[in-house]
Amino acid sequence: MSLVRSLGARPACVAIALSLGLLCNAAAARPLAAAGDLLVTGAKPDRLFVIDAATRTVRAEHRVAGANGQIFTIVISPDQRIAYLLVDRMERILGIDLASGREVFRADLSASDERVKDFFALTVTPDGRELVVYELPTQLKPSEYIVEEPRFAVYRTDAGLAAKPVRSYPAPRRVHLMLMRPNGLSFYAVGFDLYEYDVKTGKLLGTRGIQKWALADHSQPDLLAFWPVTEPTGVFTSPVYSEIKKSDGNVPMTALMSLNLKSGALSYADFEPLSALIFSTVLSPDKKHAYGVYTTLTSIDVEGHRLEKRVPLDHTFYAVNVASDGREIYIGGANCDVGFYDASSLEKRAILKLPGCSDQTLSTLRVIHDR
Amino acid sequence: MSELKPTNHKAELLLDAVAEGHVAEVLAMESVAGCSTTFDPGWEVDPFGGVASLCQPMEADLYGCSDPCWWPAQVPDTMSTYPGWDAGKPSAPGDWRDLDSVFPKK
Repeated sequence: MSLVRSLGARPACVAIALSLGLLCNAAAARPLAAAGDLLVTGAKPDRLFVIDAATRTVRAEHRVAGANGQIFTIVISPDQRIAYLLVDRMERILGIDLASGREVFRADLSASDERVKDFFALTVTPDGRELVVYELPTQLKPSEYIVEEPRFAVYRTDAGLAAKPVRSYPAPRRVHLMLMRPNGLSFYAVGFDLYEYDVKTGKLLGTRGIQKWALADHSQPDLLAFWPVTEPTGVFTSPVYSEIKKSDGNVPMTALMSLNLKSGALSYADFEPLSALIFSTVLSPDKKHAYGVYTTLTSIDVEGHRLEKRVPLDHTFYAVNVASDGREIYIGGANCDVGFYDASSLEKRAILKLPGCSDQTLSTLRVIHDR
Repeated sequence: MSELKPTNHKAELLLDAVAEGHVAEVLAMESVAGCSTTFDPGWEVDPFGGVASLCQPMEADLYGCSDPCWWPAQVPDTMSTYPGWDAGKPSAPGDWRDLDSVFPKK
């Protein structure tokens, strides 16, 4: 990310605290986030931010022409130079050079007689050459909508600003998350169940249970996963809710779903009777802890399958990520606040208010590295 | 159909389509075409039957609901039906007073 570094100096936290609305509390005197961590988030109506986690400063603010309202899912190219953004009411994919803010890729999914929405799900191949996008097409007739079958559409990332799919293949309904496997041969699609598809042929390679999971005495689970965060471990995690049968009635439980993209290992483990909602989680670099957000910040003992700690947050946050060294938790995805929390104590270290205080509206919070 | 009389424009279009033989079979609306895919516990009640686990404050989630069409009965859907509802109002905490009510299009 040397190009990003060239965008400007990184002033000290205190020096710019007022101008950026940055809260620097006493805890900031301790070691800050992992040096070199850069956060990427989007905000209404068209802003893409690159944030230096160590100094809690905005490294770059890009105006994304064509975002048209909000930036939902953010997927980072393998070389960490391009951010692929789901924008324009979920009908457009843009590729933005993170250093310059220049638009280098655009795919308009809809046509005049066909409206196509991508409900959060897209992924990029490890070589950076192809994007796979989940498409929900609907024909718009004068007095009726004709629902067409969903599909995965593959775009070449070098196709420029009028990209068209080079191939497409049938997809199941209700997919809302896609995750590329590191070998580049297949990707996972999360919907009612966990599907795996061949990238080149679109062949369905396997289906494993989410709704059809096989956990004894558990009800059908509920999972909502819009944030395709797998850094820094290559493991995707998500809260899953279900009920277990007890002699005196059913008990709602929260489990952690864990999917290792490299090995394919999938596990579910209850860690607490449902006592607070969690919308998204991230796994610590040592894979011993998972951190979840919503109205609270939660730490989960992954090996012991238990709740470690929970603290209230200032307001709802939807997106979470973790420092490369595991020392801090980053939160965002709602309002204009990006939070920095101590990973051990869950104490708040700082809140960065984005310039203009525009809402992040569920935007993915990604961590890339300053190189 | 002869005993039915159209009472709105949509119904008139349907009669025209019948006359011209263009009525397609009814298709299930399973795609994100009109916000009909999301059914969760309600806007005012959380899974515990209370309000403590709802988004806090409401403004932290207002656009999180309108933009992905999450609560179309309670919050205007900016994904398809009211795409300009949030124009010029990027901050829900700061701009919520300027967000207008919406009414079905005729």
